[in-house]
Amino acid sequence: MAKNYTLEILAVVAILGFCAVFLYTSSTMTGAEFAGSDNVGSGLIAEFSGKDVESFTPLIPQWEPPSGEIESCLFALQAAIGGIFVGGVFGYWLGQRKGLSDAKVNQ
Amino acid sequence: MHIMEGFLPWQWCVVWWLIALPCLMLGIWQLRKVINADREALPLLGVTGGFIFVLSSLKLPSVTGSCSHPTGTGLSAICFGPWITSVICAIVLLFQSLFLAHGGLSVLGANIVSMGIVGPLVGYAVYRLLKDTSVNIFLTVFLATALADMFTYVTTSLELALAYPAEVGGFASSFVMFMAIFAVTQLPLAIVEGIVLALVFKYIVALKPDILIRMKIFSEAQITAARGEA
Repeated sequence: MAKNYTLEILAVVAILGFCAVFLYTSSTMTGAEFAGSDNVGSGLIAEFSGKDVESFTPLIPQWEPPSGEIESCLFALQAAIGGIFVGGVFGYWLGQRKGLSDAKVNQ
Repeated sequence: MHIMEGFLPWQWCVVWWLIALPCLMLGIWQLRKVINADREALPLLGVTGGFIFVLSSLKLPSVTGSCSHPTGTGLSAICFGPWITSVICAIVLLFQSLFLAHGGLSVLGANIVSMGIVGPLVGYAVYRLLKDTSVNIFLTVFLATALADMFTYVTTSLELALAYPAEVGGFASSFVMFMAIFAVTQLPLAIVEGIVLALVFKYIVALKPDILIRMKIFSEAQITAARGEA
């Protein structure tokens, strides 16, 4: 089976292109602080409703991560949960294929 | 795309919950059916669900001076349909609202509708439209995943615009302004997500083509052709 890496190359080009555009725009934009679009959206809500952002309080009490570091840690944990599944299953499939081809050789 | 806890009036929270709940129930029912029919579908569910966990945890700075995150829902929508995808999304969004203060329990319904229902529905529709045509299957996956991502954010804008119409111009002008925040930031991320998930799909095709054929996600001829060129 001839190897064809078109998709891999495309992915690398897309990610590099994204980084290039990102670096260019962030160097030309002054005062951009990379707030989450969720937060920017919340600001706009406050504008439309004529209330302060602070006046929006949770309807249902909510636990908030006590610091940015802990928030990042929990985000990483979420990614790790996903990563375990992805890696585990790809490994399982690889092992399955290998088991099948070994069985064929043994016959 | 998270609407923050407290930012949606309770009437709208109830409306979105009422839309989300039947879809979730349908999803859970379908999930049981799929798994009972074929245990080998479980690893595939693990992979597609895993990517939703990974991708939706990545907060990436986009080119507009704002951060956003991809959703990763397209792959699952292609393999399992939109309803099962909404169940996986509900789990992710519950995690984020309980531990990360991203979203919240009252707005969970609205967030499930945007990320778990409308986005995957659009992705699934694109996939169904292109499935039996001669379009390359990786291009199909790219379009379905990128559009699923995009429409998640369009839906969030819609939900917010419905709850907060602008004083001048009403719903429409408010929708345009929310779109400017969410959708413009999302466009480059959606394209990158589409390409990455198409690449992931290529590896699934290479490693486990039989499950894709057995679940009739793509026909045997399409998979064989894709393996030939991959």
